[in-house]
Amino acid sequence: MTFTSLNFLIFFPLLALCYFITPVKYRLYTLLAGNYFFYINVKPVYALLLAGITLCTYYFTRQIQKNDKESIKKIYLIINIILILLPLFFFKYFSKVNDFFFSALNSIHIRWPLPDIKLLLPIGISFYTFMSIGYIIDVYNEEIEAEENIGVVAAFTSFFPLLLSGPIERAKNMLPQFKQLKQPDYNSIFQAMKLILWGYFMKLVIADRIGIYVDIVFANSGHHTGRTLLLASILYPFQVYADLGGYSLIAIGTAGLLGFKVMLNFNRPFFATSIAELWRRWHISLITWLTDYVYTPLTFTFRKYKMRGIILALMITFIISGIWHGAALTFLVWGFIQGIYLSIEALTSKRRMQFEKKYNLRKKGWYIFLEIVVVFILFAASQVIGRAENMATAFNIYHRIFSVSGPLFIGDAPSILIYSIIGLLMLLIKDFTDEFAPSQMQFFNNKRKSVRIMAYATIAILILLIGVFDGGQFIYFKF
Amino acid sequence: MEKEEMVKKLTPIFRNVFGDETLEVTDELSALNVASWDSLSHMLLITEVENQFTIKFKLKDLNKMKNVGDMMAMINSKL
Repeated sequence: MTFTSLNFLIFFPLLALCYFITPVKYRLYTLLAGNYFFYINVKPVYALLLAGITLCTYYFTRQIQKNDKESIKKIYLIINIILILLPLFFFKYFSKVNDFFFSALNSIHIRWPLPDIKLLLPIGISFYTFMSIGYIIDVYNEEIEAEENIGVVAAFTSFFPLLLSGPIERAKNMLPQFKQLKQPDYNSIFQAMKLILWGYFMKLVIADRIGIYVDIVFANSGHHTGRTLLLASILYPFQVYADLGGYSLIAIGTAGLLGFKVMLNFNRPFFATSIAELWRRWHISLITWLTDYVYTPLTFTFRKYKMRGIILALMITFIISGIWHGAALTFLVWGFIQGIYLSIEALTSKRRMQFEKKYNLRKKGWYIFLEIVVVFILFAASQVIGRAENMATAFNIYHRIFSVSGPLFIGDAPSILIYSIIGLLMLLIKDFTDEFAPSQMQFFNNKRKSVRIMAYATIAILILLIGVFDGGQFIYFKF
Repeated sequence: MEKEEMVKKLTPIFRNVFGDETLEVTDELSALNVASWDSLSHMLLITEVENQFTIKFKLKDLNKMKNVGDMMAMINSKL
């Protein structure tokens, strides 16, 4: 069951109805039942895995809390993290490890056919695994207390709006909300509906429409002209932003309708003026998770090496992020490139700041525009590697962009590109006004009711008219 | 250690790490008030503070320091 499926459009109002007619005392359990029903609908056996991870998390966090001895707490922490990570590693990397051993044995002329098990990655496993690990580490670090009520922990790890693709929420923010369930007021319901509407617009009108073009071009990159590949490479980051960003907004809005406040996952990433800033605006819940639980412990460990330690930590963190995206060389290189970008920025940050101060550049529109463009180009270039099937294809795309001339591929239906561009322009205008003129040119928050209604109606009509309803899944389901 | 003495020792570290010669070290000062205080400069700050006071922080301590006031209390507890 995904947010764009008919099942969800039936499931959610029914769940909300059951939830609000249940007496407050038992509401948590209605939600819990709804969460598991949602996940069982994806695949029943996956729910067992989720329940196992939840039980494990509950048991070990309680043990960490109960014990006074630091060494024992640490042992519990390590055992718990290993146990929780095992399924993720197994499902995500088993086939690759299998293939690796097969070819390694083959290269020394031992033909030992290992069982070829093609495992399907349980949807959402990364997201609830990360949420559980964050909770365990927070308990270990005494940031929060281990929850006594297993129902609260289970509702947190299985919370259906966040279950399949995040945002990767923190126990610190969510557990108190599950313990004291809130009734949403009129304003928060209205805000939540707005987020859901815009989320569907981003997903159905922009991401899935752009996806059609990008998929066609990248699937046959060797036959397309430089101009076409350049356009697809520019469009792809927008597709990912609209896909995961749209999904996140629907998730945040759905949670909001039930009275929950969930963290923001994207904050107008393509107006970032540095790669570091882009990573503070892009997939925020993942990056803050990595910062808190991977990067900070690493920089702390390497701190005596000062800047060299920081760079090493940056590289390791982003390589882990790359490998998490997939067990392929392309993702490893993608992570490595992000690490390189950020390291260069870290090494030059002081000098850049002095230079900008000297010429008062941070107040000059053209300079900020230039930075935004450069950051986008660097990011889009790295995304080509993340998107390509292998490194050879990625290099071939770069090569063709600069060397193969010819017309732009439009395809059989020019509407694909036209609708993509209309949607994209609307997204950019909204993000631009929110970023640079939040109090002016408001459409959705305009003081005049007629303008607001027009804005919502336009979005709703556009979703119905040019939305792609038979589009693919959300990109991040596969992670 | 007296607060005044600690502020005197911390000020040059803060000014150097955050590249701001006018920065005043107060209890309330935190990453929210200093533009260049990010995860990168934070760790450089921690290292400089450790060296200055010859103390060692634990990773857990980092989360407990929400502003400079917390940091000064933490330093004092380790002296």
